[in-house]
Amino acid sequence: MKKPRLGIFKLTSCDGCQLTVLNLEDDLVRLVDLFEMAYFPEAMDKPLRGTLDLALVEGSVSVPRQRNTIVEIRERSRHLIAMGSCATSGGLQALRNWANLASYKASTYPSPQAVQALSTSTPISEHVHVDYELYGCPITTQALSETLVAFLLGRRPMLRGYSVCMECKRHGIPCLLVSQGQPCLGPVTRAGCEALCPSLERPCYGCFGPKEDANVDGLLAWFEKMGLNARECQALLDKMNTYTFRKARLESRS
Amino acid sequence: MKADRKIIHVPSLARVEGEGGIFIEIRHGAPTQVHVTIHEAPRFFEAFLIGRPHEDVPDFTARICGICPVAYQMSSVHALEKIFGIQVEKPLRDLRRLLYCAEWIESHALHMYLLNGPDFYGLNSAWESKNEQSILARGVRFKKLGNELLAVLGGRSVHPVSVRVGGFTRTPSKKALLSLAPKLETAYEESLKEISWAASLPFPETAWDTVWVSLVHDEEYPMNEGTMGFSTGETFSMDAFLETVIEFQVSHSTALHAGRIRDGSQTPYMVGPLSRLNLNHAKLPTAIQSALKDAGISVPIRNTRMAIVARAVELAYAFYEALRIIADYEEPDRAFVPYEPVEGEAVWITEAPRGSLMHRYRVGSTGRIESCTIIPPTSQNLAHMEMDLRLFLESFASEPTDVLRREAEKIIRCYDPCISCAVHVISLI
Ligand code: SF4
Ligand code: SF4
Repeated sequence: MKKPRLGIFKLTSCDGCQLTVLNLEDDLVRLVDLFEMAYFPEAMDKPLRGTLDLALVEGSVSVPRQRNTIVEIRERSRHLIAMGSCATSGGLQALRNWANLASYKASTYPSPQAVQALSTSTPISEHVHVDYELYGCPITTQALSETLVAFLLGRRPMLRGYSVCMECKRHGIPCLLVSQGQPCLGPVTRAGCEALCPSLERPCYGCFGPKEDANVDGLLAWFEKMGLNARECQALLDKMNTYTFRKARLESRS
Repeated sequence: MKADRKIIHVPSLARVEGEGGIFIEIRHGAPTQVHVTIHEAPRFFEAFLIGRPHEDVPDFTARICGICPVAYQMSSVHALEKIFGIQVEKPLRDLRRLLYCAEWIESHALHMYLLNGPDFYGLNSAWESKNEQSILARGVRFKKLGNELLAVLGGRSVHPVSVRVGGFTRTPSKKALLSLAPKLETAYEESLKEISWAASLPFPETAWDTVWVSLVHDEEYPMNEGTMGFSTGETFSMDAFLETVIEFQVSHSTALHAGRIRDGSQTPYMVGPLSRLNLNHAKLPTAIQSALKDAGISVPIRNTRMAIVARAVELAYAFYEALRIIADYEEPDRAFVPYEPVEGEAVWITEAPRGSLMHRYRVGSTGRIESCTIIPPTSQNLAHMEMDLRLFLESFASEPTDVLRREAEKIIRCYDPCISCAVHVISLI
């Protein structure tokens, strides 16, 4: 049987989700056996040719040329998977969506007029159809393997729709919110990390993005009762998934 | 008459982190334009950090680079602790050093065996040929262990979550660390052999005296602390270092360049493993010094293509140091030092796998960030990379274009440029 052709692409990002592909370690060798690695500039010196069966894309759309790039990738690929918070939510760089780009440029570069950038950083799904989204900043190797296996077997990957709280319960981690009054985003954050932060005694900061039907507004009202002001509440949402958390908050208001 | 003009254009370099290329123009046998072009999209870290609570800084700056998040976390927390006057206790200091060892292992192994190594045995990727699979397997073994150690300390290897201002959110148990010791022991023994493997790679003959720059420290091979040393013999405090270098914008790059100010002009300098080794060789344990000597290498290494040897040395050192720290480790009474944020400004530099990483923050009275400057190693090296390319082209400009292109790419890869990092720089105010 012909091996499926895999391409791995990067838009605006930190390379951490692509590194997660290389971090498959022992499975990496298996990966390059099961797929034909057609394009992966981070680890391979080989130009992109022909069409792909699967494209994994890291990063958000944040400069003009990337709007074309993502359309080209989509046209070439039978399936497209967005990898990580940058690709599914715009990433940390989406903080510019709520700011003035000119002042951002001016505070970073001596000649700001020479710097090309869009005033927004947006998820891939706002530009092209995405078949599947892998959440997390970074994504986990487990979710990545599961997704690739599911692809090979032609089934849907198992997606957890529930919150980080469920993982805390499963691991017997005492609730930081209820027992210690710490502002934890666990109740509104998508599971997938096995409650990593609470297991290291810190509240969840939402790196997997909002879970389905998250009651973001309700949780923030609770934080306000605990003594946080509106600015502090907003700052909790405005991290690597600022764009999707703000949307989820608006949805939970209506 | 047809102009004698050659153009070498690599729009996108492979096997580097981030997006960058090369543009070279040769006229009448001499290089006229030599550009490392950086087209990574700007992310504006320094801009969106302004007004944020200082507690966010280590989580945010980690996202500058997925390959060296620990370096960003370390320069951040040290700079902020300097402002707040926090002194961490010995076990916490050691754990930070251990975390850095883990990152050096992971990042050096990635570069040596997956990115840079294949250049020397003529492959386009580490897995392209079955013949070299054993090299890849060795590299993956080292890298995996680096990641495991990162995960014990920080929960995960990319963007660890336990680092905070004042120390850690939770410290690991002695037992958890000791459980890794046997594997580290074996890896250390194996890594000593990798030094002679790296030294035996076919390097082109080239040698020049450049300005090597890295942290130097009285007692140890530098990671988190020290003063800035130059191979010219001078040393500067971290604050003074900022006044000896200048950053400037060039039209072909979204990353700023840096140079050392000397007699009114700026000259390139080099940071990274080669600089660290050249300046700190005497601080290495004797076993590693001997391994290097037995491999036929004398220090200083004056060939920039041999950076992979310096990485092999540091890979071995990171295993050695990790074992020492784990053996001495005593679980601390507290995971972090409590503090009150105060107003102030500070500079801190730590040694990222790719070289000195400078952070400067100004914090207001409410503990929020008022301004910041980040100068990553790759942007400090950009001008030096161009000088390296130029020196090569001056001798070999008559070679065919495709040979030059391949060699130019290899030269740049020796620096392990991390372009995602390079782009997050701000002008010095
Ligand atoms: S989602 Fe996070 S880890 Fe992945 S590329 Fe973006 S910043 Fe890096
Ligand atoms: S607990 Fe929250 S912030 Fe921490 S890793 Fe999981 S999703 Fe990310």
